[in-house]
Amino acid sequence: MTPRIELLRFITRKLAAALPLIFGVTLISFTLTVHFGPDPAYAMLGKNPTAADVAALQRELGQDQPFWQRYASYLHRLATLDLGHTESSGEKVRDLLGRTLPVSIRLLAPGFVLGTGLALLLAMFAAWHRGGRLDRLITGISVIGMSLSFVIIIIALQAVFGVWLGWFPVRGWEVHGPASYLAHVTIPTLAFVLASIGYNTRFFRAMLVNAMSTDHVRTARAYGASPTHIMRYHVLRGCLLPITTRIVYSVPALAISGSLLLESHFSIPGIGRVTYQAILSGDQPVLIAVVGLSAVAFALTVTVADLLCRLADPRIRLA
Amino acid sequence: MNTVRTLSVHKRPWSVVRTDHIATLVAIAYLAAALGVWLGLWADNWAEITGTMWADPSAAHWLGTNRLGQDILVRAVASTATAFEVGLAVALSSSIIGGLLGAVAGHFNGSPVDELILWLKGTIDAIPFYLLVVAIAFALQGHAMAMHLAMILAFWTTTARVVRAETIRIGQSGFIEAARAGGSTASRIIFRHLLPNLVHVLLVQATLVFVAAIKAEVVLSFLGIGLQDSISWGLMLAEAGQDIMAGQYMNFLVASLCLFGLVMAASLLADRLQDRLDPRTRHQRSVDIG
Repeated sequence: MTPRIELLRFITRKLAAALPLIFGVTLISFTLTVHFGPDPAYAMLGKNPTAADVAALQRELGQDQPFWQRYASYLHRLATLDLGHTESSGEKVRDLLGRTLPVSIRLLAPGFVLGTGLALLLAMFAAWHRGGRLDRLITGISVIGMSLSFVIIIIALQAVFGVWLGWFPVRGWEVHGPASYLAHVTIPTLAFVLASIGYNTRFFRAMLVNAMSTDHVRTARAYGASPTHIMRYHVLRGCLLPITTRIVYSVPALAISGSLLLESHFSIPGIGRVTYQAILSGDQPVLIAVVGLSAVAFALTVTVADLLCRLADPRIRLA
Repeated sequence: MNTVRTLSVHKRPWSVVRTDHIATLVAIAYLAAALGVWLGLWADNWAEITGTMWADPSAAHWLGTNRLGQDILVRAVASTATAFEVGLAVALSSSIIGGLLGAVAGHFNGSPVDELILWLKGTIDAIPFYLLVVAIAFALQGHAMAMHLAMILAFWTTTARVVRAETIRIGQSGFIEAARAGGSTASRIIFRHLLPNLVHVLLVQATLVFVAAIKAEVVLSFLGIGLQDSISWGLMLAEAGQDIMAGQYMNFLVASLCLFGLVMAASLLADRLQDRLDPRTRHQRSVDIG
């Protein structure tokens, strides 16, 4: 078999392995948000509907169909992005998400990149000087960072920069250009970095320490290779898979809590605020779309990240 | 130093506790505060209005009052009990579920049962935690235990993963095979031979879940989708978010410090337990939820 066909088979097999995962996440999302969710027929009919009215509307909405048939139509609607209209404003859910998602991405991306990058840098210093004063300092600060709740960080930053110093706006999202973007994104970015850096540094340090205690790294050090060379070629490549997995898995944990907390607290019109308002008002179409789509998107991201890492890792054969 | 270490697995945790005096003392102080609340000795009047709006610290109100004139210290102490209730309930339940499923998966490593449990774990890990909470709260239509249930459902997976790996490791050490050769049933092997050897792993994981649950409760209550008709540091911080715009910082400082202290103490204890019980550097994904 030629290597190219082997590679293709490997990729296909990996992608096929995501199918049970997609099945699982959509099944749970469907069960929780649609199957056990409130019956929209009652909400649509208003007060004192007759049993016949309810039954007729349920038939019209497809509520009387068996579980698997409803699940299949749910999958179809997710796949074709036919997500219905919001209950609050009547706007198309697809348009609502398309309008608010870019705001969330612009809000969170700088913090995510900075938080991960800084943590990796700190972890490299700590792991290189393992057991030394620098290592103990970085590890100690990481534990403190881990113990601070995202909520505490947000309120503290709001108090210091928004109320005391008044340097940055702490409400709303009036972005008209680079300057106003920077002003609005600074506090969320700081919050995100502070909330994530402790966990990330500690995890990355543990990975790097593991990778650095291998024989080939010790040999390279003994031969006098420079720290950057060793890190780049011998250490980082070796722990590409766990580090990438970690980064990918921290997206939902941090980005979704960050988006919900930052946007609801600072009134930023992103997807987190939309979700938050849908939670409070029980807006079912929005919740179905947000839960279902993000679960599928995340399942796919995990699979693709895993695939890329395995392709990049020279130790993993395509067997 | 050539002394042979003869501490058994069952003895070790207590020697660990002795080594980390401060964290232990802090944890005991929190527990004592919570016990007092449960026994009705103090802080049962956390909802009562006993002073004026935003009163300064005084003999009557050591840490002042909030916007409604409720005593901040009393509310912070009452919240300690809430934190332990949430933390212990979630840690205990997810340890039981995660321990059992992990041990079963590891024991039947590679079988369809293992595959099924791994699929379930992968699926739950792939649903973002806060959205899972939202979905469960939505399905239960605001049931008071929706938050607890969601946390248990989300947090057992980490425990199960660690227990599964440990079970596979123990299974290779011979005595499990001996027990099987001697005719022991699977349930006897799991309960008599595997789980006693997993106690230390479960203890560390339970402490980590305890911390994660307390932090998650704060975020959820802050958002208004956590506890209702109760008092917690998260609910206090939700008030504090309004207070600081009016230049009142006491609610924020007290709730933050209380939360920080307990989380820090419990994290340090989990760390020490792990170091002592597991000399190998083990990489693990701690349950972090912001």
